[in-house]
Amino acid sequence: MAYTFLSEEWIAAFKEKINSNPNYRESGSKWEHGTIALVMQFDQDILSKIKSDPVLSKQIKEGETAVGIWLDLYHGECREAKKVSVEEAQNAKFVITGEYARWKMVLKKELEPVKGMMQGKLKLKGDMPTIVRFVKAAQDLVDSATMIETKFVDE
Amino acid sequence: MYNADLNFIFRNPTKIVFGMGAASEVGQEAEALNGRKVLLVTDRFLERSPSFGGVEKVKKALGNKLAGVFSEVEPDTGTHIVNKGADYARSIGADCIVTVGGGSSIDTSKGIAIVLSLGGKIEDHPGINFLSAPVMPHIAIPTTAGTGSEVTYAAVIKDHEKHRKLIFADNYIIPNVAILDPLMTVSMPASVTGATGMDAMSHCIEALHSQQAEPIADSLALGAIRLIAEFLPKAIENGNDVIARGQMLIAANMAGVAFGNAQVGVVHALAHSVGGRFGVPHGVANSILLPYCMEYNLDAVANKYRLVAQAMGINVSGLSDEAAAREAVEAIRALTRRINMPQRLRDVGVKEEGLKQIAEDAISDASIVYNAKSILDPEETLKILKQAY
Repeated sequence: MAYTFLSEEWIAAFKEKINSNPNYRESGSKWEHGTIALVMQFDQDILSKIKSDPVLSKQIKEGETAVGIWLDLYHGECREAKKVSVEEAQNAKFVITGEYARWKMVLKKELEPVKGMMQGKLKLKGDMPTIVRFVKAAQDLVDSATMIETKFVDE
Repeated sequence: MYNADLNFIFRNPTKIVFGMGAASEVGQEAEALNGRKVLLVTDRFLERSPSFGGVEKVKKALGNKLAGVFSEVEPDTGTHIVNKGADYARSIGADCIVTVGGGSSIDTSKGIAIVLSLGGKIEDHPGINFLSAPVMPHIAIPTTAGTGSEVTYAAVIKDHEKHRKLIFADNYIIPNVAILDPLMTVSMPASVTGATGMDAMSHCIEALHSQQAEPIADSLALGAIRLIAEFLPKAIENGNDVIARGQMLIAANMAGVAFGNAQVGVVHALAHSVGGRFGVPHGVANSILLPYCMEYNLDAVANKYRLVAQAMGINVSGLSDEAAAREAVEAIRALTRRINMPQRLRDVGVKEEGLKQIAEDAISDASIVYNAKSILDPEETLKILKQAY
């Protein structure tokens, strides 16, 4: 069953896929550096598609031009995954921000997230050396996301 | 060399002003940036050095625009220095920064600009592309050739209390203007000239072998290699050779643009770690590690190292890429011997028992992400270190 990217159902599926991914359990086993928030920014085109999407139009508030996915990761497990506002996302230890289109590229494995940060395609608030130590874990998180049958609003 | 998947972003927003005595134009450049209250950032050694005189020249050129001087930069700049500098900048109402110095001074200024924009302390803000607006205008006048910091988007600032280096990378902290004045580098001692020159050479080769290498950065890197190969020995043999000094400033600047776009790799990851653990100067560490890292990467990027050999004037026609690449490695070694650079890590105080920790530190250095060959296992970096030891 396909879930719309950024819907609450998609985020719940993401948590489930992370926790059933043995590769992530291993590569993320030493992660104890705090929460991560992934912030997706919407341009006008995406905003208009969100408004007419049957799922996201009910879950993303009028006027919200970005949303965050909050991930409480610890020792290879995802303890919590939830949708948060941009303001709430800033409380995470690491905040990775990018346009919706860039995140789509990440999910389609067209953009490796750590390299994307260094190219300036994604923004990072947080300690880069910590992130770099977990490049493999980042790749396994992406792999987990790719296991979800995902529908993007602009396709 | 490039394939259909090639995609990159190239940025080079810094205005470059080059010429003998160009530092005297700093007043006009500050004016163009609406700078009325300039903070001059430098270090005590340069400020007080009788043989340098460059700080006084810049003060004079700034005239009434000069609002204050912050000269507390140290070789390994720290968060405490940046925060103090920011406090001072606020106290004088600074609206523009001019830096006279090497990489540490330029990074300090970048840090001060970040704090003035975002508030708090510098250690509150590590990250990549975390700014949402331009910071205070910054004119950099490098006195080494060099780190290339006058054109790069990153600053590395050490938290001395927690013994860790913090990375700040944002397009908005790239200096607005870089004034390349050969006269600002003539008093550089031969050992510093050699170390900073090899830092520039490392930038070129790392840009070439990076996974993010692209044609524009490649052209800059190869052009810079030609200049360094010719003029670094001359600048060391005669520190007053202003032509050699000028060409080295240009080369370091080009190398900075190259690696600022194409990134670096395992040489810098290891050099940062060697420097962090054993206090080895950055350029010295790069110089020692460069040929060993090239040997490690050789099977992946021999075609690129062929270009390095050619840029250094080595005739490699008729040779395979691998043989040509080995010529490049030997040419780098020959250059380092000619300019009397240390050859091995043990010669600069690195202890063998420390290699394992350095190898692990290097794996979490952001520089390693774009190395020619992906390195996730510290056993790989340890192999290189043992060779270089």
